[in-house]
Amino acid sequence: MGSSNVPPAQIPTSFGHELRACLRCRLIKTYDQFRESGCENCPFFKMDEDHERVVDCTTPNFNGIISVMDPTKSWAARWLRIGKFAPGCYTLAVSEALPEDLKNLCEDERVQYLPPKGV
Amino acid sequence: MPRRGGDEDDDDLEPEEEGYYEEDEPGQLYDEDEEEEEEEEDRRGSSRKRPRSAFIDDVAEEDDEEYEDSDEDYGGGGGGGGGGGRDKKKKTKKSGHEFFDLEAQVDSDDEEEEEEGEDDFIDNGGADLPDDDDGRRIHRRPLLPREDEQEDVEALERRIQARYARSSHADYDEETTDVDQQALLPSVRDPKLWMVKCAIGHEREAVVCLMQKSIDKGSELQIRSAVALDHLKNYIYIEADKEAHVKEACKGLRNIFSQKVLLVPIREMTDVLSVESKAIDLSRDTWVRMKIGTYKGDLAKVVDVDNVRQRVTVKLIPRIDLQALASKLEGREVVKKKAFVPPPRFMNIDEARELHIRVERRRDPMTGDYFENIGGMMFKDGFLYKTVSMKSISSQNIKPTFDELEKFRKPGENGENDMASLSTLFANRKKGHFVKGDAVIVIKGDLKNLKGWVEKVEEENVHIRPEMKGLPKTLAVNEKELCKYFEPGNHVKVVSGTQEGATGMVVKVEQHVLIILSDTTKEHIRVFADDVVESSEVTSGVTRIGDYELHDLVLLDNMSFGVIIRVESEAFQVLKGVPDRPEVALVKLREIKCKIDKKSSVQDRYKNTVAAKDVVRIIEGPCKGKQGPVEHIHRGILFIYDRHHLEHAGFICAKAHCCVIVGGSRANGDRNGDSYSRFGNLRTPPRIPQSPKRFSRGGHPMDSGGRHSHRGGRGGHDGLIGTTVKVRQGPFKGYRGRVVEVKGSLVRVELESQMKVVTVDRNFISDNVVVSTPYRDAPRYGSGSETPMHPSRTPLHPYMTPMRDPGATPIHDGMRTPMRDRAWNPYTPMSPPRDNWEDGNPGSWGTSPQYQPGSPPSRTYEAPTPGSGWASTPGGNYSEAGTPRDSSSAYANAPSPYLPSTPGGQPMTPNSASYLPGTPGGQPMTPGTGGLDAMSPVIGGDNEGPYFMQDILVNARRSGEDSVVGIFREVLPDGSCRIVLGSSGNGETITVLPNEMDVVVPRKNDKIKIMAGVLRGATVLDDSLMRKYFYAVKRWVTCVDLDLKRWRWQPEMMKLLGNSEEVGAVEGLVADSQQRWLDIMKLVPKWDITKKLGDLGVEDGCWVLAN
Repeated sequence: MGSSNVPPAQIPTSFGHELRACLRCRLIKTYDQFRESGCENCPFFKMDEDHERVVDCTTPNFNGIISVMDPTKSWAARWLRIGKFAPGCYTLAVSEALPEDLKNLCEDERVQYLPPKGV
Repeated sequence: MPRRGGDEDDDDLEPEEEGYYEEDEPGQLYDEDEEEEEEEEDRRGSSRKRPRSAFIDDVAEEDDEEYEDSDEDYGGGGGGGGGGGRDKKKKTKKSGHEFFDLEAQVDSDDEEEEEEGEDDFIDNGGADLPDDDDGRRIHRRPLLPREDEQEDVEALERRIQARYARSSHADYDEETTDVDQQALLPSVRDPKLWMVKCAIGHEREAVVCLMQKSIDKGSELQIRSAVALDHLKNYIYIEADKEAHVKEACKGLRNIFSQKVLLVPIREMTDVLSVESKAIDLSRDTWVRMKIGTYKGDLAKVVDVDNVRQRVTVKLIPRIDLQALASKLEGREVVKKKAFVPPPRFMNIDEARELHIRVERRRDPMTGDYFENIGGMMFKDGFLYKTVSMKSISSQNIKPTFDELEKFRKPGENGENDMASLSTLFANRKKGHFVKGDAVIVIKGDLKNLKGWVEKVEEENVHIRPEMKGLPKTLAVNEKELCKYFEPGNHVKVVSGTQEGATGMVVKVEQHVLIILSDTTKEHIRVFADDVVESSEVTSGVTRIGDYELHDLVLLDNMSFGVIIRVESEAFQVLKGVPDRPEVALVKLREIKCKIDKKSSVQDRYKNTVAAKDVVRIIEGPCKGKQGPVEHIHRGILFIYDRHHLEHAGFICAKAHCCVIVGGSRANGDRNGDSYSRFGNLRTPPRIPQSPKRFSRGGHPMDSGGRHSHRGGRGGHDGLIGTTVKVRQGPFKGYRGRVVEVKGSLVRVELESQMKVVTVDRNFISDNVVVSTPYRDAPRYGSGSETPMHPSRTPLHPYMTPMRDPGATPIHDGMRTPMRDRAWNPYTPMSPPRDNWEDGNPGSWGTSPQYQPGSPPSRTYEAPTPGSGWASTPGGNYSEAGTPRDSSSAYANAPSPYLPSTPGGQPMTPNSASYLPGTPGGQPMTPGTGGLDAMSPVIGGDNEGPYFMQDILVNARRSGEDSVVGIFREVLPDGSCRIVLGSSGNGETITVLPNEMDVVVPRKNDKIKIMAGVLRGATVLDDSLMRKYFYAVKRWVTCVDLDLKRWRWQPEMMKLLGNSEEVGAVEGLVADSQQRWLDIMKLVPKWDITKKLGDLGVEDGCWVLAN
């Protein structure tokens, strides 16, 4: 994994409609992957425990995919503000914001959440 | 996460994981990591500073998250990854604790807890983890160099300052992040983005594969990231420091074609990544449009939204062919007519039943509404209810037209429901829709129908002063519940919508719809009250679509012509030029070929010259007796405006010889002056022969006007009149002009160069000029013909002798007309071409002078596409070649008149703003090239002449939107060009200015002519042959090729050259070969080129010369 030290996130097993993006960190995986193992960057969403959460925390509406091999050195990752996340496949932009309760959860967890622009 | 992933992962990953989880030394790995670290540091040059300062910055900018993340990066995750990195981190952290114990403490605790939680579910149930962590830190600490510590303290000071300078850690402030974003703009030290081709439709797959490969290969793969954009097919971007890394990474991936790797200029990097998040804001009652299928483009209204399944139910006006449906339901064969789309019509259940179509009435369990189900389709009130994917509708910027909304209103339905649907219309209201004093009416809620006046506008709330007594002085009403109110008798102006600009008086108010009596047309128009403001202004309303305006004379598709007498929302009414009876046609914009706006004149019944604005009386035909000023003249037909004529907007069409000029011969001198002044603008040859005799004589383009002073035909019998002559003796010796009158032995000659008429002895002139050089009159370019002596030896047709010695024809600067300069010469290059090249050159990034973060202005032109490689290089080619070519970069940024018809406007940098599906460099032509550069005197100024050549196809755009294809015939002496319309050249002959036309860009299999370079004038049979030729002479990359490539051969060239880096190598070749070509061509007559090319190894038959 380049010289990054974080183990990579799961890689999507397909490329089609099953893909969803985490609304906070924009990680892309399939619905099943999220359901089974949650989001590597946002474990506090506990998607793997509460499957309903997957629907709330992720969206199929996203635009573009970026595979970040080396988040620390990648300019693109920095620009997209995913430089601190695990290597993996992310989206460039999601079109939805987190629901309020999950935003609050982020706040409680003291993690930053930047809502997508224009939403 | 790592576990699950890791299980399936290669062994490569295994040790790393162990290192991560088992805290005790990952011994052998350590060395490796250190090595890596060193390597990294070497590369960065700035040594170890970077990770730390990044860390600090981030803490300052962002918040708690950073702690957690960086912890993952350097601490927690660092176990196996990088010993050095982790050590640093540990120390940092430690010092952090020392300095700001409280907050930092909390933070780190937090994140440790979190980490713990994360690790927890991954691995061992460990509250012992943090301790472990601590232990590790302490253990590692002595490894740290001392000076580092020192530096760190300073850094920390800064960090603390930054931290406390900000208000609090809890603000997720948008503004700050915007600023931060600027700080993240790419720098020269950052990895670069490379554009790589991949299989269409496999873009996502490609980047995911790269990710997988990176996981499998570990640090071997030196790329940083890979991007697949949804709107960019056929390409992905890869972020890496070196092109070699990209190629290496792509090796073995069958979806990625890495032969061609294009660097994205640094200032365009952010564009690549900025995609707009498509905010899907669908709610009930939203107006949307269907994107695909039978209903493509149709307006629909959302009735239900299923966000989870991404589907919406919309209400549409059905397009159903009941007959076909009946047949289908009965199992009969239905002949599918693909092109046929049934018109929208409300479903008539009874009709369906009559056709024995089974109609089931069902109740929707969810809504309780009843639907008619026909063949699986749901209908209600005649509407079709269709559930479709959200992706198949577009909801952005939907502005239903009045007509559409009218149609959508079910017949018989009153305005009640309409009001509801208006709410979405109101959503499109601009800010400041209501202003103080507007009369408004409440259309919703308890106060419905209350009228009042706007007092104050506050965001969404409008304070109104109600009309009714007994109510509070002002009431605050939501903007959406208000509608403008007008009363019959108000004079209003339409400010938006299709009728924008019209003014008139309100004659009726139907809810939100006003009926206005237009000031212009005296007709009723229906508009939304919302689109109207009260105004005393009287305007002509919509008088213009595209380039065509009310009362313009236009040429129609079928070569007929007429005057626009009315402008409707999408069409014109045209009074055609048929004299016998008034014929009015409804004409769509696209059916108009062009505007006819040249000034011509004809002769009336008594051979008086009639020009525009002359008042004539009709003395024959249906409109006999009418009179008025002539508005237009075309092909012997006059369009007369008689304001007493109540039909056809007052226009009458009559033959010229059915009219007489009113007032007979107007003052002669006056007329002459007039004609001279007009003569200055002369650019069209007559289309109407003034008299048969003259015509027989002439056909000469100079034989125009006919507005010369002779009248009554006295001198008209002399064959000399109208011919172009040259004065052989006397004070005007050498001048040329046209004979306007013959008086015995004297002739009056209108001098071409001086715009005056002189009297010369008939024996002093020679009229064989015309015979010998039919159209080679000294060029008289528009009005700029002050040049007294035209060096007529400068041939107008240099292309006839392409091989001429370049030095033979001096360029006469004085000859250039402003027009030419404008059209052919160069717009000041925005940047030296060399710079462009350097932008694309990895070695010189820092020098990029045009780095403008935020809004790269010229990305369309200089983009990292196959095409753009060219945009940035050939300029360099030429200048290197030492050819005087100051316009070399003109094509890179030419705001040229050619732009509209050049297909090069494709977005090169795919960003969502200028998104055209699937066209990254699909047509990588540079805008503005269409002919501009063909002109550039690449070969020693040899081509100083009109670049249009005989028999080439051109698009004439005579001040119209639609261009007409024609065949270029010749340049007229006045600088305008004669064109025969129609691609086969059988149409009408028209005259246009050079800047009104441009060459047609060849398509595959088109016969082409070489426009520039030494082979100018040569005809090449087709594209494939040319390509062969091109390859054959690839070693001789001449200017010819480069010129051609701007038409078409760019992609081939790119294929040939691989990537932009190699273009540099070719530059030298160009420089060399240009001279070589010149040398060869100078000596070789045209017909020998074939042979010469053969000598050079060019296959015979690869190219053909024009005869």
